[in-house]
Amino acid sequence: MIGRIWAIALNTFREAARIRVLYGIVVLVIGVNLLGVVLGEMVTNEQARVARDVGLTGISLFGSLTAIFLGVFLLYTEVQRRTIHAIVSKPIERWEFVVGKYLGMVLVLTVLVGLFAVALIGMLLIQDLGVSSAVLKAVVLAWFEVLTVAAIAIFFSSFSTPFMSGIFALAMWGFGRVTPEIEAASRDAAPWIRTLTKITLEIVPDLHLFAVSGRTIEGEHVSIHAELVSWGYVAMASLHGLGWIVGLLALAALLFHRRDFV
Amino acid sequence: MSDLAIDVKELTKTYRTPLARRKVEALRGVSFTVERGHIFGFVGPNGAGKTTTIRTLMGLIRPTTGSAKLLGHAIPSREARFKVGFLPEAPYFYDYLTVGELLDLAGRLFGLSASVRKKRAGELIARVGLERAQSQSLKKFSKGMLQRAGLAQALMNDPELVVLDEPMSGLDPIGRKEVRDLIVELRDQGKTVFFSTHILSDVEAITDRVAIIARGQLQAHGTPAELVRRTILGIDIMIRLPQEADHADLTAGAERIRRHGDELSLTLPADADVDAWLARAHAAGAKIVQIVPRHETLEDLFLREVALADAPEDGSDDAPKETRA
Ligand SMILES: Nc1ncnc2c1ncn2[C@@H]1O[C@H](COP(=O)(O)OP(=O)(O)OP(=O)(O)O)[C@@H](O)[C@H]1O
Ligand SMILES: [Mg+2]
Repeated sequence: MIGRIWAIALNTFREAARIRVLYGIVVLVIGVNLLGVVLGEMVTNEQARVARDVGLTGISLFGSLTAIFLGVFLLYTEVQRRTIHAIVSKPIERWEFVVGKYLGMVLVLTVLVGLFAVALIGMLLIQDLGVSSAVLKAVVLAWFEVLTVAAIAIFFSSFSTPFMSGIFALAMWGFGRVTPEIEAASRDAAPWIRTLTKITLEIVPDLHLFAVSGRTIEGEHVSIHAELVSWGYVAMASLHGLGWIVGLLALAALLFHRRDFV
Repeated sequence: MSDLAIDVKELTKTYRTPLARRKVEALRGVSFTVERGHIFGFVGPNGAGKTTTIRTLMGLIRPTTGSAKLLGHAIPSREARFKVGFLPEAPYFYDYLTVGELLDLAGRLFGLSASVRKKRAGELIARVGLERAQSQSLKKFSKGMLQRAGLAQALMNDPELVVLDEPMSGLDPIGRKEVRDLIVELRDQGKTVFFSTHILSDVEAITDRVAIIARGQLQAHGTPAELVRRTILGIDIMIRLPQEADHADLTAGAERIRRHGDELSLTLPADADVDAWLARAHAAGAKIVQIVPRHETLEDLFLREVALADAPEDGSDDAPKETRA
């Protein structure tokens, strides 16, 4: 089982490594970090602040967009090009194939997030700004956010087209990041709107857990520029993300299991 | 151990296109069996349901109703898939891999150890004649080369049963012969080979059993010899006749009459009095070029069965259309 999943994961990694756009994204993220430096120079007191904000936003934004891009295409093209015919006719279970595809994406995204993080940390070190543990925690959270977004994308692509999956995944990502704000906004609304919002938000993955900077968590205002959340919180949020990933992959596998490959 | 390699019972498959609300009955109650150790040819025109049957057997699609067993295991069976090799129709593989890497991936999915994978891959690449293309990625392969790579990956697990969807398509005459030889060799090793084709000469030459499918239904099933009527269908005659000679007397009751200059060819009915006819021909000044009794070929059978299938049996003509979703 592990051998089969791993074979699919490595193959997926190879497949993704040939997508030129990914290299463009890496260049783009490094560029964004440089831009952060330039902007920081202009606002003399806020150098560190700007560099961190820009760097972390870059990881979260570009990481998640890449995750959606890979998630909606990698599974779909296998079915579309019929490469899947020679695979699932071998003794591999369909869920193993889905998990293998996801793990391949995890490899790619981890490399990407790693490169983004190196770019950010490099930028901070070059400017002598120092790397606080808050930055590391934020990077880990962003990484889990990206992996959860990938699971969302692969879930949608297990039954719909890349275009539709992309829209759904983007919507989930957007809503997921601002659920507390939406909840707060609906507090004064009519009861039925509140109930509806509550139910809707319940099915949206809690991506806001990963985007903590600037929020009030456990009664305290947290910021990437000061004390961020505790490592305990990071672990809790990551576990939560893992729960979503497992759940989404299980659903994806179930839907994929029922499909005809023609 | 079941002595049937494939056992298909009343398989039906209806494709539904959700938005167009169109239904295509691709299979309409297909039943047949394939004995172990046989070469079985699955013949039918385009759109007959060959690929649909094969995809159902390989667990790629679910039958609407009916059941099937591969090597004694009800489909979809992972256990059976360990012992089955499959070449998809017009195969497309990951084009960034080399053939060696493709075979290695296949071997991993079959759970083979690294050493076995390496050994088999080497042997199979040689067997299908792709040694010289080993360092190329599949992207640069021609259609025939891809077909060969596909055959090799289908044999990685040293299967008991080999299912090939149009293994000869895209191959030149030499390639066709090589594949025919390979199929016979696999049978000689004790394997069962099930393959689809619409080229009858491929089937006539090597198969133990043939099934003809058209419009989602089996039209005939048996040995090539059983299927082809051994009786004489007619007598093909070619004569040379002076240009000005009238041939109305000679062509009465004949079929396929053709005249090119002084050459006249026609087919007499099987029960015609050939001696009397020849006497008349001589009297008209003709010279006999050749006389050949005409037996039915699989080709004729194919056309006959397909024509039967195309004749509407009842008012509701719900035949599948030749459109691909
Ligand atoms: N995905 C699909 N959706 C709707 N109809 C389909 C689909 N796939 C096949 N069909 C229809 O089912 C019928 C059988 O198709 P199938 O591919 O099994 O034929 P085939 O015998 O393999 O033909 P060929 O010799 O062209 O490969 C055809 O009428 C085809 O149009
Ligand atoms: Mg076909």
